[in-house]
Amino acid sequence: MTVNQNELLSALVDGELQGKELDDVLQLLNTNEQARRQLQRYQHTSDLLHDHSVSHHHIDLTDRVSAALDDDAAFTTSSNNTAQIIAFPKHFWKQAVSLAVAASIGALAVVGVMTQPENQLIQPPQMASVEVETTPMVVAKTGKRWTVEEQEIEERLNSYLVDHNEYAGASGVFSYARVVSYDMGQ
Amino acid sequence: MKKVFQFVLACSALVLSFNTAAEPQAMQTLERMGVVAKQLNYDGIFSYQAGNKLQSIRIIHRADEQGEVERLISLNGVAREVIRTNDMVTCIYPEGKPVQENHRPLGRGFPTDFLRRLSSAEAYYQFSLGQKGRVASHHTQEIVATPIDNYRYGYSLWVDKDNDLLLQSDLLDSMGNVLETFSFSSVEMGQDIPEQSLKPEMQGNAMSWNRNEYGLSAVKVTQDQSSIWQVTWLPKGFNLVTQQNRFKARNGASIEQQVYSDGLSSVSIFFEKIRARHSHLHGGSKMGAANAFGTIMNAHFITVVGEVPARTVEKMGNSIRFNGAE
Repeated sequence: MTVNQNELLSALVDGELQGKELDDVLQLLNTNEQARRQLQRYQHTSDLLHDHSVSHHHIDLTDRVSAALDDDAAFTTSSNNTAQIIAFPKHFWKQAVSLAVAASIGALAVVGVMTQPENQLIQPPQMASVEVETTPMVVAKTGKRWTVEEQEIEERLNSYLVDHNEYAGASGVFSYARVVSYDMGQ
Repeated sequence: MKKVFQFVLACSALVLSFNTAAEPQAMQTLERMGVVAKQLNYDGIFSYQAGNKLQSIRIIHRADEQGEVERLISLNGVAREVIRTNDMVTCIYPEGKPVQENHRPLGRGFPTDFLRRLSSAEAYYQFSLGQKGRVASHHTQEIVATPIDNYRYGYSLWVDKDNDLLLQSDLLDSMGNVLETFSFSSVEMGQDIPEQSLKPEMQGNAMSWNRNEYGLSAVKVTQDQSSIWQVTWLPKGFNLVTQQNRFKARNGASIEQQVYSDGLSSVSIFFEKIRARHSHLHGGSKMGAANAFGTIMNAHFITVVGEVPARTVEKMGNSIRFNGAE
């Protein structure tokens, strides 16, 4: 496992991947046992950090994962060690991948996905197409609103614009005009 | 042939002498403009035009021994106000049912001295005197700032001939097209500005005031010279002019802002640690003449914002490297 692969797996758990990176990591998970174990570790850590109750998944891992986190050596590349910690059903990996991608949509989806029968799981190729957090680059079209689709992004850009405007403009006379004229509602 | 050569040489000398004479005069006008903008009282209405959108804004500016206060009020469309004091800006957005009041401290460290900024910009723009004109019934002199490359925009600044206040500012792309214009339609200068004129009109309404997450006590700006981020490409002449951290109390997120400038054009880069699952800009976006480029790196939202061409924010954004510990 390379540093980059570990970063990709971590980003997958955080729901930050899209496009080619998502395809790459899914391919990696399909072919690399070590990557699947690493994803499992990251997912456990993420669940603990975000207080996702493992009992909802009908698998009580809390004590084991806590102990494992205390002793990082338990998560070595040895498959034997991993096998001693958790014995998952074969379809877990599909569930884990689904879970990681679903995390980008919302934490509420997590429990639901884990409790679905295997044949209802979203398959990886379909998941790769779910790029809900991606805002495509929009060709310049002058106006008084940001050329983005989501309000959350728009609000963040506005907030940044206010901070930026104290440094903008040639003289300072018109610095905040863009802020006050922003066309929020039209 | 010799006479032709002498004629060409004479013409060249004439053109050169004209340029070298014009440029210092342009610089002197800009220098006075920078001073006046901070020291003069004025109350006027200007329009902001970007593309086919036009907005009228009233601006009231007062300068005294306590510093500057400035109030901007949108006159058409949604009522909105921005009040800037020396170190605080308050944005009032009555977009929804309640009014939203957004206080935040201004950053520090940026050279507010326009003269110093101007001297930095001198190497990256050609400043020259343009046409004479008339803006808001005032006689004006145009100063043209032409950039040396296409990583920044040019400016056409129309300055009052009598008191050097900037009355119109046009931002120009490399083809000379006007990207946005600020232009006074009427303005009075030098009068007393009563305190009441600088109070928000919406204050007297019965509407509730809903402070958003940037509440007055919620934002803290700190200077921090160390950064885990490195911008490996900058346009010529752009230097880091300020770097600060802003903390948002609601979610505890820390936002680092780095500002790069060549003296006239500025670009801010925001590094916001991801504290929850949120959407973020991926690629470019545009608003008026401002361009933004967003990406995600090492669990941070990274956003580059500035009144520069899209290629500039994109190239800067793609050059950012994470230098922190994994």
